[in-house]
Amino acid sequence: MSTKTIGQEFIKGLWDENPVFRQLLGLCPTLAVTGAVINGLAMGLATTFVLIFSSLVVSSIKKLIPSQVRIASYIVIIATFVTVADRFLAAFFPPISKSLGPYVPLIVVNCIILGRQEAYSSKNTVGRSLIDALGMSAGFFLALLILSAIREILGAGTFFGYQVMGAWFTPWIIMILPPGAFITLGILLALALHIERRTKSRK
Amino acid sequence: MKLSTRMVVVLTSIGLLSGSFLATVGHLTKERITLNKQREIEEAIIQVVPGTVSSQKLYEERDLSVYGGKDEEGNIIGFAIHASGIGFQDKITLMLGTNTSLERTNRLAILDQKETPGLGAKITDRESFLKYWEDRECSEDISLRKPAVSSAEELLPSEINTITGATISSEAVLSIVNSSLEHARRLIKEGKISSEAQDVN
Repeated sequence: MSTKTIGQEFIKGLWDENPVFRQLLGLCPTLAVTGAVINGLAMGLATTFVLIFSSLVVSSIKKLIPSQVRIASYIVIIATFVTVADRFLAAFFPPISKSLGPYVPLIVVNCIILGRQEAYSSKNTVGRSLIDALGMSAGFFLALLILSAIREILGAGTFFGYQVMGAWFTPWIIMILPPGAFITLGILLALALHIERRTKSRK
Repeated sequence: MKLSTRMVVVLTSIGLLSGSFLATVGHLTKERITLNKQREIEEAIIQVVPGTVSSQKLYEERDLSVYGGKDEEGNIIGFAIHASGIGFQDKITLMLGTNTSLERTNRLAILDQKETPGLGAKITDRESFLKYWEDRECSEDISLRKPAVSSAEELLPSEINTITGATISSEAVLSIVNSSLEHARRLIKEGKISSEAQDVN
């Protein structure tokens, strides 16, 4: 059982245990869909939906699941919500569904989600699992947003599809290609580590 | 309950519950998803065969469908060929409008592609690529002008301009168009499609 306060439980997902910057989980979607802010946003929302509902279900039936089949059970539960998210996007937001392509179904194997079930929801109450899922989703969402904003502004000169750079600006095409994702993530990770070290040494 | 029985019961019930939940969701969204796909195709037909008010599917097979674009009186005013093939990275799906004798192109639209952003992805851009496809002679294979020329006037009537830096993507589109045009010509010869307006069964 976790001994943190509710506030700490939420905040840890944003920084101390941020899934992307601190735990380095879920890097495949992080790298693949952050070429445009709209895609990062949709991916963040879809993952949030799956994480919250999987955590709710897993934490409420945790006592019923024998530990030998827990991973299989979690995966079935996660896959169910992923399929719901996928169908929902295809039905109501076809352009987003098209540009995310296979990455929505691939949320099933996103380590953040399975990791939270195994590390948290299977040991804590429903309420706390919800707070944890909200915090982790917010952390993931934030990471996708920062990454996609940097890549879209530098790589296309736009933010959310709106032109933000003047005519003088030549888009750095590499930023919206895969190498741009690695470069941006690498710099952000270094930055996160640097900030972490400085705050620790002050304490 | 014995552990092995419990394992089977728990997994089976989770599976059954998830399955029935998904069946419901699938059922609720199916209609909308089909509708979205149809609308996308209809919009593309209107775009590549100007003047179309309604359309009719004339022929369909894997990777190639032919639609007829009709005017207000129900006469077919042009064909819209919906085809796909391999591009530089992934499948390219396009819609090519032609006149009813398949001798001249109308317009080209790219419906789906995953070419390199900023280079190959320019195949969806009107100024750098699509405008060269308007009103080309296509009773024979269309060819690519390499290296690219700066104005459309320099091109032969059956030539299109290459995108500088994206020759492979330009060639991919060209080969999809040429092979589907050839296919369509054969279909006309065999009488499988015709511009005579047919009654909708």
